[in-house]
Amino acid sequence: MIEVEALTKRYGSTTAVDGLTFTARPGTVTGFLGPNGAGKSTTMRVVVGLERPTSGATRVAGRSYADLPAPLHAVGVMLDARSVHPGRTAYKHLLSMAQTHGIGKARVREVIAQTGLEPAAHRRAGTFSLGMGQRLGIAGALLGDPATLVLDEPVNGLDPDGVLWIRRLVRELAAEGRTVLLSSHLMHELALCADRVVIIGRGRLLVDASVQEVVARSERAGAVRVRTTDPEPLARELLAIGAQVSPQDAGVLQVRGATVDDVGTAARRAGVTVLELASESGSLEDAYLQLTGDAVEYRAADAAGGAR
Amino acid sequence: MSAATTTSRATQAVTAARPGPTFGRLLAAEWTKLTSLRSPWWIAGVTLVVAFAITYLSAEASSVNPTFYPLESLPTGLLLAQVGPLVLGALVGAGEFRTGAFRTTFTLVPRRWPVVAAQALVLVGFTLVLGVLTTAACAVGVLPSAASRDVPVDLTEGDTPGIMLGMVLFVVGLTLFGYALGALMRRTVPAVVTALTIVLILPVVLLVGGDLVSGPPGMAPAGEMPAEAELTVVDTLVTVSPGGAAQLLTVPASEGPIEGSPDLGPVGGGLVLAGWTGLVLGVAVTRLRTRDVR
Repeated sequence: MIEVEALTKRYGSTTAVDGLTFTARPGTVTGFLGPNGAGKSTTMRVVVGLERPTSGATRVAGRSYADLPAPLHAVGVMLDARSVHPGRTAYKHLLSMAQTHGIGKARVREVIAQTGLEPAAHRRAGTFSLGMGQRLGIAGALLGDPATLVLDEPVNGLDPDGVLWIRRLVRELAAEGRTVLLSSHLMHELALCADRVVIIGRGRLLVDASVQEVVARSERAGAVRVRTTDPEPLARELLAIGAQVSPQDAGVLQVRGATVDDVGTAARRAGVTVLELASESGSLEDAYLQLTGDAVEYRAADAAGGAR
Repeated sequence: MSAATTTSRATQAVTAARPGPTFGRLLAAEWTKLTSLRSPWWIAGVTLVVAFAITYLSAEASSVNPTFYPLESLPTGLLLAQVGPLVLGALVGAGEFRTGAFRTTFTLVPRRWPVVAAQALVLVGFTLVLGVLTTAACAVGVLPSAASRDVPVDLTEGDTPGIMLGMVLFVVGLTLFGYALGALMRRTVPAVVTALTIVLILPVVLLVGGDLVSGPPGMAPAGEMPAEAELTVVDTLVTVSPGGAAQLLTVPASEGPIEGSPDLGPVGGGLVLAGWTGLVLGVAVTRLRTRDVR
C-alpha cells in the first residue's frame, strides 16, 4: 500500500508536484501516468525517501519510508536504470544490495534467473543495453520479495519480448496480493496491465480512476462513424432524430446520440449509399491525450524553439 | 519461477518480520562494492610500484653521499605515492553520486549516515593493507643501494619502526581525507583535483608565497642559529594544513619541528589530519542527512 497525501514538492520557484493525493492498493497494478516533466519521478523519489516533501506526506505500508525497519523487504524500487555503478557486475551489484539486508547468494541467483540476466550476470553493468539495465533494475526490486513495488518507466527500452514479460510479471505480482505502482508516459503500455490509472499533469492530479472509467470518458467513446457518398442529406436526417453530427474529412460524419442501427436507418431514409459504418470505441490513449493536452509542459514547438 | 513459489513467499512477506540493515551487514555490502570495482586494485598496484620506484631512485641518488644512511630514504617514495590514496578516497567518496548508484544505496538505507561510516571503515581496512604493502615496497626500494654500499639495513633499529607505522597511517589518513572531499563534493574530477591541490600544491604555494613576502631564508644574516626558532605564519600554516600535517606522520619525533613551525610531532600531525578529515566528513554527512539526494 502506498499513500500519497497532499504532496507538494518545490525546487526553488518551480513546483514539481502540487497537492497530489492518491493511493495505490494491494493486489492492484496502479499505472502512474503523465507527460514528461509532470512530476511522476519526483513523486516516486519522495515515496522512497530520497527527497523530502515540501508539504504533505507519503507512506508505504502505513509508515514513512525512513521508518521502515527493512526497506528492501518492504518496497522493491526501480527508479532509473542508471542507479547502478557501471564498473560493477550485475551479480556483485545485486549481491551488495542483498548483503545490506542479510539476504543470501541463493536469492541473488534466483532473481538473476527470474529476470533472464544469467548470460550477463558477470558482465559490468556499464556494458549493458538499456533493456538489460531495466532487467537489472527489476531484479533489484524483486530481491527482497517486497509487498510493494515502485517501478519508474520499467518498459522503457525493452524489446517486445521484454514488454510482454513486464506486463505478465506485474500482473502476477499484483495477483499475489502485492501493491504495484508503475509509471509511464505512454498510455497504451498501461492499458494492457494496469487496473487503475493515476494521471497527473504539471504536478496536479487529473484523474484517479479505473482503466475502464477512463476509456469511457474518452470523447470518441459511444460515437458512430459513418462514411457516405453524400453526407449532407444524411446529416439533415440525423439532426432530425436528435443526434449531434460533426462532419469530418472525406465524407465522414461522427455521430453522437444515435446507435449504429439509427444511423443505418437514417441513411436509407436519406437515400444515400453507406460506404462505412461503425461504432467507435474510446481508447485510453485518446482519453489520456485529451486530459493532458493542456498540461503538457513542453510542446514540440517549444522544444524546437528551446533547443539552442 | 512458478507462481506457486512466489505466492508462498509473498504470504511470508506479509507475516514474518524480516530484519533490515545492521552495521555489520553494511560493512559486508560496502566491502563487496569496493572490491568489485577495478579502480581500487589499479590504484593500489600503481601506488606500490610508484612507492618502490621513487624510494629506489632516491636511495640510489643519496648513496653517492659519504654519510649515506639508507633508512633516511624510506619515506621518500610516499611523496609521489600519496597521490594513490588521495585519488582512491576521492573516487570512492564521489563515485556513487557520479554514477547514480546512490539512489540504490540510500533507498536501501534511508538513514544514510551509516553508509558513510561503513564506507569509511571499509576504506580503513583496505588501506591498512595497502599501507603495509606500500611501506614494504619502500623498504625493498632502499635495499639495492644499501647492498651496493655494504650498509646494513635494520628495520627494527631506532626510530624506524615508528616511521614505518607512521607511513602506514599516512596512507590510511590521506585516503580518508580524499574520501571526505569526495563525499562532500560528489563529483569525481573536482574532488580529485581539490584533494591533490590541498595536499600537494597548497604547502608549496604557501612556502613560495611566504618567501616572496619575507625573502628567502638564505637571505637572513649569517650567524648563530637562534636557540629557539620563532614561529612564522607561513610555516605554521603549512604544518597545520592537511598535507603538511600528514607529512609529519613520517618524520620521527626526535627530529624536532621544521624551523618556524610548531612542534606537533607525528602524533600531533596525525591528529591535525584527523581533525581536517572529521571536519570535511562532518559537513558532508550533515548535508547528506538534511538535504535531498537527487
